[in-house]
Amino acid sequence: MAAKPPSKTKAKPVTKPRVQVKRPRTQSRLGHSQSKKSASNQSDSRSWRYSFKRYLMGFIALSLIAFSAYLYFLNHLINQRFDGDTWALPSRIYARPLELYSGMSLSRESLKFELELSTYQRVSYRPKPGQFRLLNDSIVLYTQDFEYSDSIEPGRLINVEFVGGKVTGIKDLVSNTALKLHRLPPAIIGSYHPQNGEDRLLLDSDRIPEKLQQILIAVEDKQFFNHFGINPVSIIRALIANVRAGKTVQGGSTLTQQLAKNLFLTSERSLVRKINEAFIALLLEARFSKQTILAAYINEVFLLQQNNIAIHGFELASQRLFKKPTDQLSIDKLALLVGMVKGPSSYNPIVNPLDALTRRNLILRVMRDETLINPIEYAQLIQKPLGTVKRLPGVNPFPAYVDLVKRQLKSSYSSSELSAKGLRIFTPFDPLVQRALHTGLNNGLIRFGQPNLQSAVVIADYLNGDIQALTGDSQVDYPGFNRAAMAQRPIGSLIKPLLLYSLLDGDRSLATPANDKAINIKQSDGNIWSPKNYDRQFHGKMTLYQAFIKSYNLPFVNFGVEGGLEALVRNLERIDLLKHEVVYPSILLGTSAMSPLEVAQMYQVIANNGYFTPLTTIRLVSDKDNRVLDRMPLKSKKIFNQAQIIQVQRAMVGVAEEGTAKYLNSRFKGQTLAGKTGTTNDARDSWFAGFSDRLLGVVWLGNDDNKSIKLTGSSGALRVWADIMAQQSINSFKISRDAALEWHYINRKNGKLTRQHCANSVLLPFIKSQIPTGRSACE
Amino acid sequence: MHPARMNLIESKSKSTRLGLISLSLLAASCSMTTINTDQYQGETTTEQTNNGPVAELHRLAISALDKQQYNQSVNYLQRAIKIEPRNAHSWHYLAQSYWQMENYPQCLDMVQRSYSYSKAADHLDRANDVLKTQCLAN
Repeated sequence: MAAKPPSKTKAKPVTKPRVQVKRPRTQSRLGHSQSKKSASNQSDSRSWRYSFKRYLMGFIALSLIAFSAYLYFLNHLINQRFDGDTWALPSRIYARPLELYSGMSLSRESLKFELELSTYQRVSYRPKPGQFRLLNDSIVLYTQDFEYSDSIEPGRLINVEFVGGKVTGIKDLVSNTALKLHRLPPAIIGSYHPQNGEDRLLLDSDRIPEKLQQILIAVEDKQFFNHFGINPVSIIRALIANVRAGKTVQGGSTLTQQLAKNLFLTSERSLVRKINEAFIALLLEARFSKQTILAAYINEVFLLQQNNIAIHGFELASQRLFKKPTDQLSIDKLALLVGMVKGPSSYNPIVNPLDALTRRNLILRVMRDETLINPIEYAQLIQKPLGTVKRLPGVNPFPAYVDLVKRQLKSSYSSSELSAKGLRIFTPFDPLVQRALHTGLNNGLIRFGQPNLQSAVVIADYLNGDIQALTGDSQVDYPGFNRAAMAQRPIGSLIKPLLLYSLLDGDRSLATPANDKAINIKQSDGNIWSPKNYDRQFHGKMTLYQAFIKSYNLPFVNFGVEGGLEALVRNLERIDLLKHEVVYPSILLGTSAMSPLEVAQMYQVIANNGYFTPLTTIRLVSDKDNRVLDRMPLKSKKIFNQAQIIQVQRAMVGVAEEGTAKYLNSRFKGQTLAGKTGTTNDARDSWFAGFSDRLLGVVWLGNDDNKSIKLTGSSGALRVWADIMAQQSINSFKISRDAALEWHYINRKNGKLTRQHCANSVLLPFIKSQIPTGRSACE
Repeated sequence: MHPARMNLIESKSKSTRLGLISLSLLAASCSMTTINTDQYQGETTTEQTNNGPVAELHRLAISALDKQQYNQSVNYLQRAIKIEPRNAHSWHYLAQSYWQMENYPQCLDMVQRSYSYSKAADHLDRANDVLKTQCLAN
């Protein structure tokens, strides 16, 4: 090829001497005694031969050019695949790592659940990495190495002891020392898959178990280390066998050819495909080492189908089928995986266990024949069961949470980055809280007897902004519309804590007399708005505290027209939840729509003494090589006055003690909780938002078609909230001490100071300048 | 070494004594009023202890700070806060880490949270005062 261009540029000077040189040679061959005719024939013949040679040379040159272009194209394909990311790797979403320490609230059963979610295998002997053993008052587990962004946590054999739902000690069984702290590697809770639906876990060539390589080569390509990409002997042997049988009974493809087909070609049975496959195999062998080709094959080969996800590579197939990495698999299990290469569907051990067993034993026989195992081992191994899981673990068992992670990442990462770059996304997702949510929600919904009733729940740690659990559907594992993040519903009286905060931002206190009287408001469109209490009654004299805990509407609307509305709008703006430019007075009663997640953000600020901490599902994002791409630092911005917020918190405790959520008082005896119920017109939406010492929970119930569910906040969402919280260990909410506040007993009706044991007395905090002056007689 | 941490470390040995004094003052102030608010109010702070997981994470965080591994110290402290979110010391060290990283707005926010969990007259408030001044100056 390199000599061609110069010959073209010098075409004229070269052609002439060639003709001159050829003539004497032809003449000498024919002699001088030929006739004119024969001379003419001779000349024609020469001309024909000359033309033929020219055409032949041209054809050969063109063929060479075409062949070179073909090889160049194939090489380019290989470059594209091997120079960049060879495979589209799904991003993995991780739960929070569980910090184990002495004194923490964690039952033995909860740790078992956590380990099983992290695909640990339960055994009845001393555990190996990735296994645990359940004992009476302890769990012995061997953790696996895990690479965090800051360090590698090495696997350890530890014993975790429990007494009464608490961890009482952690011991490293190898060094025989007590551990103060051990971080359990986080479970994978979901993935974003590429559009081709492929999923895999990459295995570096130095981590491929030697036994796996040996079995694979023995079964698929015995001459792998001796051939140059194709094996002519093997091809001829297969050809003869196929001709004799009259159909395809034997394949002659090497591992390299199979890799070429898997990576670049289709499964079409045609000569052209076979030729392409052979040339790609030759190029692969020319460019890469045998070890690289073998590693690529082991990571590429398709082994298992799970719904719409195609599982490629031995590592992921091993983890899905056996809950173990390949380097921990026994020989019989490796043999099963290698056997599945021939027919991932036919030899799927979960769908066709008998065929899979026969195939595995055939592989073991090959291994015996190839002396990879001895006859005694063979006899023992063929007796072993398949040892796979009974059911493949779900790909995305927590769809609403995984969906929210994606939504929160959307501004920083494209869909293709998320589904192909193998990102590692670390979240604060807490599997134990999510389990409590699942169980509590199921228990709670059953009581209503409404099969179409929809729900959404958000549970967050309001002190650090971690969204720990979430569901957007009554069927929690259904990957549909995520109501927790997307459903915009009127929030009803859930607006009142922020409204109360807005009202207290002045001369008012919880003891301020409230007007429970009718009011008509002319709106900007000319219509008259005449709000009513939910029970359509008037309740006489009362304090703001009393109006709040009973969730009466009229006092709040009356306060709203006295400046409360403007303050509410300002405060909604501060937490970025003001949705409309035109504000109607009806916003005072929660006609403005929010998602459960937005409600949770509003209540996070209230529960956290006025500190705004963005609720998040993401803590850190790293690439597949564990380089940190994004850290989401803990944020905390003081936006509300703590003394005012504490008064709101006290009123919310009142709701749970003696107000619309007093059900909590009997359900959680001795516990102090805070919350607020919400109901919208015609009981279309039932809401409850409440918090304990750390956890904030928001529950919404409703119908997608907006029909009445005939449930109030008290009779609906509150019950579900209680069912969810009852599934886990929660502690009392304690109001912070604040030097700006003094606590006094007042009469809840007239707002005057009173004594503790007098009727209608209630203990409330006051900003010093707002302490009531009058004293009420003890009724 | 950062002056705020020097201040903090120097005063560490006095922490137990100061803690006892502040507890006595608190008890005295409570005894002057007849209203008991324990039903609703509680300690939001956590005493600094030398044992336990949070103390261990504090040790690791301080060590990382000394080695100028600030992301590392932030990681340790966020883990500590996850275990004990109302520990004023964790928030203070976190503020120090951000000060070292020259992220002054974040430093101020963390100092603010540390104040909210520290007790009146606590030695930590003085360390927070120094840190706050330095963060504001930048």
